Amino acid sequence: MPDRLTEGLIDLLRPLLAVLLGLAVGAVAIWATGHPVGEAYAALWNGAFGNRTFLGSTLARSSTIALAGLGVAVAFRAGALNLGGEGQLALGGLAAALFTIYVPLPGPLPLVAGLLAGAAGGALWALLPAWLEVRFRVQLLISSLLLNYVAVYSASYLVSVPFRDLSGGGALAQTRLIPEAARIALLPGTRMHAGILITLALSLVLWFVMMRTVTGYEWRMTGLNPDFARYGGVDRVRALVTAMLVSGAVAGLGGAIEVMAVYHRYIDGNLTRPGFAWSGLMAALLADNHPLGVLLAAFLLGVIQVGSTGMERTTQIPLEISSVVQAVIVLFVSVRIGADLLRRFRGRRAARG
Amino acid sequence: MSRAPAIAATGLVKVYPGGVVANDGVSLRVEPGSIHAVVGENGAGKTTLMNLLYGMEQPTAGEIRIHGEPVAFRSPHDAIARGVGMVHQHFMLFPSLTVAENIVLGREPHRFGRLDRREAAARVADLAERHRLPIDPLARVGDLPVGLQQRVEILKTLYRGAEIIILDEPTAVLTPQESDELLAVMRHLADQGKTILFISHKLAEVLAVSDRITVLRGGRVVGERERAETDMDELATLMVGRLPAPPATFRREPGAPALRVERLWVRGPRGEPAVQGVTFTVRRGEIVGIAGVAGNGQSELIGALTGLVPAAEGRILLDGQDITRLSVRERRAAGMAHIPEDRYRWGSAREASVADTAAMGPHYRPPLSRRGLIDRSAWLRRAAAIVAEYRVRTPGLWARAGALSGGNLQKLVVGRELAGDAHCLIVAEPSRGVDLAAAAFIHDQLLARRERGDAILLVSADLGELMALSDRILVMYEGRIVGEVARDQADERQIGLWMAGADLPAGDPPGDPASAQQGGDAGA
Amino acid sequence: MADLFDIQLLHMTLRTVVPVLLAALGGALCERAGLFNVALEGMMLAGAFGAVVGSFFLGGAGWGVLAAIAAATAIGLILAVLSLNLRANEIVVGISLNLLVVGLTTFLMRVVLGATGTFHHPDLQGLPQWSPEWLQAVPVLGRLLSGHTPVVWAAYLAVPILTYFLFQTTIGLRLRAVGEHARAAQTLAVNPLRMQYLAVVLAGVLTGLAGAQLSLGQVRIFQENMTAGRGFIALVAVIFGRAHPTGVLLASLLFGLIDALGIRLQGVGLPSQVTGLLPFVVTLLTLVALRGRGLNRQGTA
Repeated sequence: MPDRLTEGLIDLLRPLLAVLLGLAVGAVAIWATGHPVGEAYAALWNGAFGNRTFLGSTLARSSTIALAGLGVAVAFRAGALNLGGEGQLALGGLAAALFTIYVPLPGPLPLVAGLLAGAAGGALWALLPAWLEVRFRVQLLISSLLLNYVAVYSASYLVSVPFRDLSGGGALAQTRLIPEAARIALLPGTRMHAGILITLALSLVLWFVMMRTVTGYEWRMTGLNPDFARYGGVDRVRALVTAMLVSGAVAGLGGAIEVMAVYHRYIDGNLTRPGFAWSGLMAALLADNHPLGVLLAAFLLGVIQVGSTGMERTTQIPLEISSVVQAVIVLFVSVRIGADLLRRFRGRRAARG
Repeated sequence: MSRAPAIAATGLVKVYPGGVVANDGVSLRVEPGSIHAVVGENGAGKTTLMNLLYGMEQPTAGEIRIHGEPVAFRSPHDAIARGVGMVHQHFMLFPSLTVAENIVLGREPHRFGRLDRREAAARVADLAERHRLPIDPLARVGDLPVGLQQRVEILKTLYRGAEIIILDEPTAVLTPQESDELLAVMRHLADQGKTILFISHKLAEVLAVSDRITVLRGGRVVGERERAETDMDELATLMVGRLPAPPATFRREPGAPALRVERLWVRGPRGEPAVQGVTFTVRRGEIVGIAGVAGNGQSELIGALTGLVPAAEGRILLDGQDITRLSVRERRAAGMAHIPEDRYRWGSAREASVADTAAMGPHYRPPLSRRGLIDRSAWLRRAAAIVAEYRVRTPGLWARAGALSGGNLQKLVVGRELAGDAHCLIVAEPSRGVDLAAAAFIHDQLLARRERGDAILLVSADLGELMALSDRILVMYEGRIVGEVARDQADERQIGLWMAGADLPAGDPPGDPASAQQGGDAGA
Repeated sequence: MADLFDIQLLHMTLRTVVPVLLAALGGALCERAGLFNVALEGMMLAGAFGAVVGSFFLGGAGWGVLAAIAAATAIGLILAVLSLNLRANEIVVGISLNLLVVGLTTFLMRVVLGATGTFHHPDLQGLPQWSPEWLQAVPVLGRLLSGHTPVVWAAYLAVPILTYFLFQTTIGLRLRAVGEHARAAQTLAVNPLRMQYLAVVLAGVLTGLAGAQLSLGQVRIFQENMTAGRGFIALVAVIFGRAHPTGVLLASLLFGLIDALGIRLQGVGLPSQVTGLLPFVVTLLTLVALRGRGLNRQGTA
């Protein structure tokens, strides 16, 4: 039994060590700018947790990162290297905005319809690279990556020309406001919104799907060893397509919630500039694609990102330091420092016994 | 002769992590300028011996002398420096490069860094001529037939000044004509003073070309003969050893046909016809063994039967139902189970838990899951039952499959496949790389399934295993079934000859291989 | 339509294609050595930033080019150490490095250059544009070939030089051998790591030049994330061009022509978003046309 505990500890140790190393690199960068490191990190902590508003922003951002990350985690678990989160997120947001604006529905339906439209938008866009892989053997990694640019430019065009809001002079490339009924409630005085509940619920649901359903089992086995899955009667194409659909739907939902709770309209660039999709990817890598781990990792990244905004306000250290720290963390996780060597050593011993 | 032997190995022992003893006190003496063959069944320790001599692995104990001097090779580079070259069974070639480039790589003729292609081609052409190995230095290696690719490998060793050339199963991948040419090349090289050490299963060619023959079995030398003083019968018997007595429970009339294969053709990975018109039947309550040296179409046959590889032609029937076009899942649902030849590639995923490994196959239907939801307790119960019944040593059900030892993982895979109610078992190399106790346990399980009335197709490169389990044995050679023999008439000499691809002797062999070769029914 | 295709357009294509071409040549070298380099984007961006910093602080475009090469090579070496020595997944490392460089350059732009979003300064020296009189005197070609920076010339010269290097030298032969079958190369006493490091360093030089051309050649600014996916297009050019310098050149020219055409069409009133996505659509369509017949590499997460 102690082995199980050790296994679990090793799983936790790796990202933890990486985070510490990432913060250490951040400290060097802060030191290089001439600011006292302790003060800067205190400002970061304060920026993320200092008051209700800050905490709300942190949670709101973490929520969207988590959705993007959950999408990545599902795809990666199934062995599909979906790098198209950015496009899936943006098109999900756009679909939610356009659907709620142009399809009037009674009662609370716009809320549901908006979320569904967002999920559908992301899912359909994710289907495209899956289809290209199955039908034309185009590597999903590259096609999904390139499709980001296609999606982002297309969305930008749509809100700049045909669906542009011309009411206020049309200075900005954005859609009209979505109807009141389609807006997700905010906690007063903060940016914390009810969408966070959806994120929490969804990560539990996805954990359940991955660990407790046949579909999830087939995804995981396909990801771990496609030959083993095939030998056991798993349909590879089905596993790939369903994983990509769910992956895209979750990312699309992230875009939809961001639109419906925070901006109440699709504003060109607002879903891409904060780098939600890439932060989500990092969260998934950090959590080794575990749905509940993604929540934690997304929260960590949210803290770093929102906190660094606060740090910039009080110390003038550029907030981009957060991107540096995050990327360094993921790099350290990718080399599986220390912990993995330990596991490999233990594995070898076990193989010998 | 006063000259020191080219190779003198004394008491070589190689123990692998996990305790497998691959070489157990092997001594070998190879005279310079001779052709020395090492023969033995799969798992006899031949490849390990070659790896020790070539520096790919280091012996646990024992001494190697090359031309009289003791050596301790740490890598093949050391071996090459001492004039030992090796031609691997799986070529180490660069398909997109030319013959000359492949040969000179690492020791290229050049002028100020510019590759001197003309000089390289000239040297290769010269080398080829001196050793009567004609080849076009400018041809792309990927375009060459296998026989010529092998020639490139031989030239590579010669270019590096090899005096001793080790050939690992060199004819395994060759056509009969190419094999004949290779044997002539080997003779010529030996006449020029090179020493050839050559591993093979095929007794006919061993007898045709070797000066001296060492027979390995179970990691030990069981015989060493001058060519003149031995014959195929003796070698075949030495190789296979004494056959085990049939188990006491071995009397039962087989029942109705379960698996029937009709004129099956299957393509190999390079599109070549790997299985060529095979026909046979496996009845309920019967174990049919397929013997043969690895690589004679057995893998492709298993792939086609289980649905992993499409059949090119022919039919596969299970209980009279045509399953040739069914998916893997449909075949499993129809009552087929599959113990794969490679438990790591097909039978498991290293990072998957023992419980998840044990569920594969029937995972989508009751009792393991209902309406797409996994029944966690049934899932764990199944795994626990397999682990208990098959005595799988594992830290727990959540442990990674990759953390299990080879034997324990194999027991897990076997247990999984036998846990359901499948009545047609496709079993490949069930005891490869597992210790004796685990092998015996697995064998007992298979016999029990036979008693229960299941139809079992057992493919194994281990003749002893086949002899111990099978009611009938079919011998596969180059994609065809070339012989069939009932268990109680089994004759190790005859099977050894079939496996070695020897011409069938006159007289009346058991079964009717002639009709089998023409696509007739070997199982009727 | 006729005035869409004129000397001006070709001149622009020759120029705008250079960053993609240089990065793709670097990617091709890595590919030949058996390393799938997803970090081209980040290496190029690091180069673009290094170029501006070098030129601005050391007072010369030449210094800028050197700094660009150093910055891009540094990123490449991180990729090499992590994925070759420490066996991290090359795709994960490549993606992370791209993200790292975006953050790091933006951070440093503010710390070192004191600018947000875009940096430009009258004192920032760009790459010289080379228009000798004798060249201008040549009809047609003169107009096509003058007014380019030395980096543009270097990019096109790199194509035959690298072709020679890969296919005529012993080092090139070994590098290709390593990429094709590292274990077999090792049995012939060719050290795969050494060849792969060589490829990464050369890719650093090439992507560094690509970045310098981007920030000091076409314009004289540094902009946040100014590579804007060019590194990924270069990656596809590597696949499309089968990692052969000439093939890579042709693929890059195709993408460059689309790009230049897009800029031209913008002038006719086509929205910038449409012209922006055009190269990516064309890139995807070429992949579909290849149907997996290009380089086929599978990575895992």
